[in-house]
Amino acid sequence: MNTNNNVYTIVYTTIVVVIAAAILALAAMALKPRQQANIKAETISQMLTAAGFASKEDLAKNSNDQILSMYSDNIKTAFLIDAAGNKTDELETEVSSIELQDNLKAENKNIASGNPALPVYVFEKDGAEINVIPCYGAGLWGPIWGYIAFNADCTEIVGAYFDHESETPGLGAKIKDEIWFREQFKGKKVDFEHADNPFDIVKGGAPAGDASKIDAITGATMTCNGLDAALDTWLGAYIPFLQKKAGAAVEEDCCCCDGDECADCDHDHDHDHNHDHGHDHNHQHNHQEG
Amino acid sequence: MNEELKKTLLNPIFKGNPITVLVLGICSSLAVTVQLKGACVMALSVIIVCGLSSLIVSLLRNSIPNRVRIIVQLVVVALMVILVDQVLKAYAYAVDKQLSVYIGLIITNCIVMGRIEAFALGNKPIPSMLDGLANGAGYGMILIIVAFFRELLGSGTLFGFRVLPASYVPNNLVILPPMALIILGCIVWVQRSIQKDLQEK
Repeated sequence: MNTNNNVYTIVYTTIVVVIAAAILALAAMALKPRQQANIKAETISQMLTAAGFASKEDLAKNSNDQILSMYSDNIKTAFLIDAAGNKTDELETEVSSIELQDNLKAENKNIASGNPALPVYVFEKDGAEINVIPCYGAGLWGPIWGYIAFNADCTEIVGAYFDHESETPGLGAKIKDEIWFREQFKGKKVDFEHADNPFDIVKGGAPAGDASKIDAITGATMTCNGLDAALDTWLGAYIPFLQKKAGAAVEEDCCCCDGDECADCDHDHDHDHNHDHGHDHNHQHNHQEG
Repeated sequence: MNEELKKTLLNPIFKGNPITVLVLGICSSLAVTVQLKGACVMALSVIIVCGLSSLIVSLLRNSIPNRVRIIVQLVVVALMVILVDQVLKAYAYAVDKQLSVYIGLIITNCIVMGRIEAFALGNKPIPSMLDGLANGAGYGMILIIVAFFRELLGSGTLFGFRVLPASYVPNNLVILPPMALIILGCIVWVQRSIQKDLQEK
């Protein structure tokens, strides 16, 4: 048979391509549920790491099901908020039907257009609430994203975790690999006054004592700039919500300290920050008495 | 096993190693050798892709129109690579994340296309598959040797377990791609001093 015939060539290539496409389509369909389960468990373990339940390495040893049930056991509520920080929708937290808002790329665009549906995941750890929110942006080579955990009244960051798709290993990839980098976030605050630049990653070292600035990573300037921009965008979008939470907590604190020690206050005292707060109140009280 | 098959299997491992003798597939061997685990999965993926695509192209070899043979080969290789990537995403998600783009880039690995062009197009299916598997193994062996040194000296660990004392300061140069090239150069040096006939006059 003359295999160099034009008609033969066209028919042959068509058949090869159609068969290849059919095999790929079948494989994609068959493997999709498993792949999505992996992505879901990965997203959840990033949140759990940020919230401080376990280290990422320990979580990696668990099966997907274990991670899902760990999420379900520790979460209190999960919901979506709009640009003004008002709750718009609940997210399912039952282990069999966990809902996540994990299309961060789409929300990144929605933040710019002013109509986002931003997720807030409220975990309960040692009796205190931990609010976990995501961020998303562009690194040097591809997308970078992460989860930031706040204390009960959203005044202080208690943990963070970042991940990336294709940053340079040993350089930009350090936002994920270097534990000291994400440890820096602990105890930092979001600058509510500057909604366009609420948090800074400073090249050359953050000034000591500044509560909303951390050190950048040497050799990862572009990735850190990307992460800085991502934090500014996302934290900026969450500021109305965070401020509401912080405002509500201050009011609660006042009620509490007027009366007897209540249960609410008791576990609030676990937090250093709140402890200081309470202390201030006591101090004022003494002053008035004096 | 007859002589011919034995030669097909053993030649690519040492005497005709695709990386150190033919100098193919250098790009990915620089990129995925930071950690042993990644290097092992990459080696296994290349072995599978190389073996299976050689087998399929060899089965088709008499029917492929000569003018479009490269395109047909590429379709076969790409199909295998995407299948491997999808399976890894489903069953070894963490490793797939670590290898990221490099699994996809097996498509452009010169070893795969090179062996198909040079061997599978002119040989029967079984020898072709063995040739593909052996070349993948030759590639994988170098990958694992390089990754062994890079992980040991760059992070002080092997397969993620700490072997060097915690007081060891990781050498950052070893993590970066240039060091892979230096280690590769050392392997070529060792091989050429053993195998004198590779030395140019």
